[in-house]
Amino acid sequence: MFVGKVVGTVWSSVKWPGVSGHKLLLVRPYHLADLLVHPLNKPVSTSAVECQGPAKSVQTHPGLSNTSPPSHVKAEAVVCIDLLDAGVGDDVIVAFGHAARVAAESEPRSHLSSTPTPTSPTASGTPTTPIDAAVVAVVDGFHIVRPGT
Amino acid sequence: MKRGVLCGEVWATRKASGLAGRSLKLVVELPNAPRESGISSDGFDDSALLFAPLTVAIDTLDGKLGQPVLVAYGSGARNVIEPGSKNRAVLADAAVAVLLEDASEP
Repeated sequence: MFVGKVVGTVWSSVKWPGVSGHKLLLVRPYHLADLLVHPLNKPVSTSAVECQGPAKSVQTHPGLSNTSPPSHVKAEAVVCIDLLDAGVGDDVIVAFGHAARVAAESEPRSHLSSTPTPTSPTASGTPTTPIDAAVVAVVDGFHIVRPGT
Repeated sequence: MKRGVLCGEVWATRKASGLAGRSLKLVVELPNAPRESGISSDGFDDSALLFAPLTVAIDTLDGKLGQPVLVAYGSGARNVIEPGSKNRAVLADAAVAVLLEDASEP
């Protein structure tokens, strides 16, 4: 799973029946540098950090907002189905592969198109929805410690 | 499995039912070649970690922030959450499998 920001929506009229009824979102993954200056990052109290081992608090990040990723860093957006009615600007957690298919078949479809074609697990319990990424949580908040000496 | 460091915690109230009650931790992946990345043996180079891959993993071991860990992916993650062959319905694609005390390279 990864955490990222919803940066767009994808529309498609011709698609595999198993995907019908699901909204498609474009999610760009975050890096640690993004989260350290993110407004949802709840500062950690000094006492909490002290008892948590070799990490230092990140209440202030001088100069970090100007940090830009090296040229080799890729943060390509991922197209995933939306199970939780997320929207552009939301911070979400995306699951990949089998976990995404399990989530898709256990959640009710919130964005039904005209005539959705339901998918059902096979007799072996294997989920059959033809997807490999799904939004499985909408982030309320997080706190980050910066790995260090 | 991949080696990383627990660097954060995530909260979400709107989430898939399969994630209910799970502790979600952020793990930043450690580069494979610390020396080439400028990481010393006694610490981590900020610049190497700021843009390293970041994973959200289910933590059943109650790891502390800053702790080095191994993260299992895919079916390995499901086996961390629920060992056995009947775990196909478990919603997990990454889980903290090992809390590392220390790691060294020759």
